[in-house]
Amino acid sequence: MNPGLFKLAVVGSRSSWGRLAGIAGGVAVGVCLLLLLWGGANGLSARDERGAWLRETGSPSVSGPAAADDPATSGPGTPVPLTAGTVLMEANPAEVFRDRLIDRRDVAALGTTTVKIPGIGKPPPPGSYYASPALQRLIETTPRDQLGERFGTFAGTIGDAALPGPDSLVVVTGATETELRQHGRATLVSDFTANPYGGSAAAYNTVLCIGAIAVFFPVLLLISIVTGLGAAQRRERYATLRLIGAAPQLVARIAAVETAVPSLAGAVLGVVLAMMLRPAAAQIAVNGTRMFAADLTTGPAAAAAVVAVVVAASALVAGHRTVRAGIGPLGVTRAVHEKTPTAWRIVPLLAGLSAMIAAVLMIRVLEVRLTWLESPLLIGGFLLVLAGLVVIGPWLTRLVSRMGLRRARSAAGVIAASRIQKTPGATFRSVSGLVIAVFVVSVFAGGASVIEATDVPAARAGLLQPTALHATVGAGHTPAQAAETARRAAGLPGIRSATVGYGPAALAERDAGPEIYLRAADAPGLGFEDIPAAETVAVDASFLHYWRTQPLALTPAPATSLDGLVPVVIFVGTDGTPEAMDRARTALNGSGITAIPATSPGDFKLQSSTRLIRGLAVLAYLGMFVAIAIAGLSLAVATASAVLDRKRVLGLMRLMGMPVSVLRRIIVREAAVPLLTVLLLSVGLGFLVAWLMVTFIDDSYRVAWPAPDYFIALGLSLLLALGAVAATFGLIRGTTAVTSTRFE
Amino acid sequence: MSTPDTTAPILSARGLHHSFGQTEALRGIDLDLQAGEVLAVMGPSGSGKSTLLHCLAGVLVPDGGSVSYRPAGRSPEKISALGEPERARLRLADFGFVFQFGQLLPELTAADNVSIPLLLAGTKRPEALRRSTELLERLGLAGLGAKLPGELSGGQAQRVAVARALVTSPAVLFADEPTGSLDSLAAENVLTMMLELVREAGTTVVMITHDARTAAYADREVMVRDGAIGAGYRVPA
Repeated sequence: MNPGLFKLAVVGSRSSWGRLAGIAGGVAVGVCLLLLLWGGANGLSARDERGAWLRETGSPSVSGPAAADDPATSGPGTPVPLTAGTVLMEANPAEVFRDRLIDRRDVAALGTTTVKIPGIGKPPPPGSYYASPALQRLIETTPRDQLGERFGTFAGTIGDAALPGPDSLVVVTGATETELRQHGRATLVSDFTANPYGGSAAAYNTVLCIGAIAVFFPVLLLISIVTGLGAAQRRERYATLRLIGAAPQLVARIAAVETAVPSLAGAVLGVVLAMMLRPAAAQIAVNGTRMFAADLTTGPAAAAAVVAVVVAASALVAGHRTVRAGIGPLGVTRAVHEKTPTAWRIVPLLAGLSAMIAAVLMIRVLEVRLTWLESPLLIGGFLLVLAGLVVIGPWLTRLVSRMGLRRARSAAGVIAASRIQKTPGATFRSVSGLVIAVFVVSVFAGGASVIEATDVPAARAGLLQPTALHATVGAGHTPAQAAETARRAAGLPGIRSATVGYGPAALAERDAGPEIYLRAADAPGLGFEDIPAAETVAVDASFLHYWRTQPLALTPAPATSLDGLVPVVIFVGTDGTPEAMDRARTALNGSGITAIPATSPGDFKLQSSTRLIRGLAVLAYLGMFVAIAIAGLSLAVATASAVLDRKRVLGLMRLMGMPVSVLRRIIVREAAVPLLTVLLLSVGLGFLVAWLMVTFIDDSYRVAWPAPDYFIALGLSLLLALGAVAATFGLIRGTTAVTSTRFE
Repeated sequence: MSTPDTTAPILSARGLHHSFGQTEALRGIDLDLQAGEVLAVMGPSGSGKSTLLHCLAGVLVPDGGSVSYRPAGRSPEKISALGEPERARLRLADFGFVFQFGQLLPELTAADNVSIPLLLAGTKRPEALRRSTELLERLGLAGLGAKLPGELSGGQAQRVAVARALVTSPAVLFADEPTGSLDSLAAENVLTMMLELVREAGTTVVMITHDARTAAYADREVMVRDGAIGAGYRVPA
């Protein structure tokens, strides 16, 4: 191609520079976000790999009768001896400080052990601990009676290579073999696993994949919209080139190159921006911890691939669009009329929903597990729903605009409704980013609402009190030891009561009874109101289950004395302040007699599979921010493009006396009609998809009303839409000014 | 047919000067238009005739000189001294415009295109559509009100543009090469119908044209050369 011709075609005027800058800027933002998201996905994976050793469960430390925590089958068994090639490890699932979960591992090893603990090396000796830097900082800045006394003497910090992120709270404490065997929950570990995700791998990956798609989609839309900027103006210039003898293929090549050049500049700028923003992006906490900046690195190959794909795709699309437009020497010879959208456009959406419903039905109703089919059905279904929204948008928009045109009374109404009816695809495209963003936000908000739905119940007599903690007592401890622990706890600031519950044997043992016995005088401290007139009372052992919703009643104990029973649980009532709660935890966990760390009914929120949802909720809000920001930008670009493409006719209207306020109203209506038409559908579908997703993970979850954040996000979306449209008002005034129209 | 009032010009230009950068487009033009008069402005390309039309219509504010408008039954207004909102209001209410091409909104039907100025003036849509359809019929476009501009021939589209310019019964019609993009038969057709309507309504017309045959339809011709009214123009007999 002649360089002079190319230069003239690409940067022939001042407005060309503006358009090129617009394309480059939009692509830069898109590529930057793509790389950061890609890095984020890499980072999550790297984080899970580093933290894999924390999912090591080991092998039983006793042979013979099985699991020690199953009273029905457990028994004394035969201890499997500790050797130099193994360590005895107890994973504590509920070590909590404030509302954060601490990954605690208690280990006992022989002096000659060869087992290395990731990030530490040789296991810590009894009474000492290794902590992650973040936890050690917490320990050092918190009164010892609230945290430090739980772990013993500081021996060192755990290396970053064994920590999921810089905020990870991990502690490895040294214990004696006797202590751990007494708890009955320790396992033998010879090597720490490197297998990430554990049992929830498939669901986790599936949902993560859906989250990534949901965020990538608006980014791709943005790139597509900016590369089409000023298409009408470009067509005019191409017609001129055709008039002076350029062949259609040459014009298509020029179109491809003139889009590729700013796209390349933008893509390279996007790579640089992503590198610069990586440390800032790493500060965003996902699943409770920030990332190490290095986790977000995608590597030069990935960056080069993104640049190459974006540039090649935008060039190919630009070339193809030009060929399709059929530009001849006298302008566009083949009018590219939009095909009237028909009701068939509902098919992809229905197909997507059907696929997702099929995946959920298969697992939850038919109870058939076909892992090779479940995830593809769910992910494929989600992709189809996303695409289906974009496909159905123009059809719905046209339906509404037809009704609008019949009822239109003003010039702005007639002009806007007529244009929407004739070009529903182009009109909807300008708001499609925002529609997708609202859908994504609704999906994430629906997913996040699961946590709210299963929130801690309010204080109620006959159930565990939200401000109380309890810790089970290990086997072999005397009533005097338990009473002493309760007495010490009761003397701490903020502690209101400390009660020991008794039984025939420790709760983890086979002989543990179905009830817990208490002194009747202590019962009010546990929140009981109707107390039988007896010296000792009994309550069903399921009183300790945090998920219990039916209150339990006290009954008179069969024996009037607690003599002959052993302590099985210690309850501590607090004033509910975080300090008092952590003081109580520290007192109980540091006493040396508890089998399982002290827990409160609210702690379950931090544990098990709800953590996955919580992590995704954080990811969701991140995605929401990205999606809405991109969508707003896309709408501004698309609206500006719509104004530029109609510069001449709108300018003539102004010349004939049409006030600029009417033009503004036209632009606002053209954005508002498609947006409001599909918004309700986006919201409804978002929550439906969220419900399908959470049911896919666990059918005990329920989608509830979203948090206020959701409504704030929705309001923000609409404000952003208004802002994006308002941002083009200056452009309307400038490009349609009578002077610029006259001398165009 | 109403009789033009020859005593007080409806539009008066005095000493009009206008430049674009270093280029002087108008160099002291004086011009009077009587109410109901049809004036053809001729001249070679770049002579300043379009600039003159835009200064007269209040699209451009001249660098020097003044343009006065004396509507019937209202006090005179100095257009060149008005702000853009007032000039826009004047263009909408009192003036009509026809251009060479590309002036119809492509997504609107012919009837809707014609009705836009009425809607802008506050007329209810059914009434605006009724008046638009009536005017389209008078311009030989009966039954074409529901067509889109892309479905009309060049001559038909130009008649729709004429209907839109005249639907508000403007006092002055400004036409910039109104038949420039049409073949001679279509051009004659459009001009005949347009002039029949304006003469019947007593509308003043300022029409720019290159074509002597088109200019021959006017009551008077002026020739613009190098930004000034040149010699060789025709005055009414």
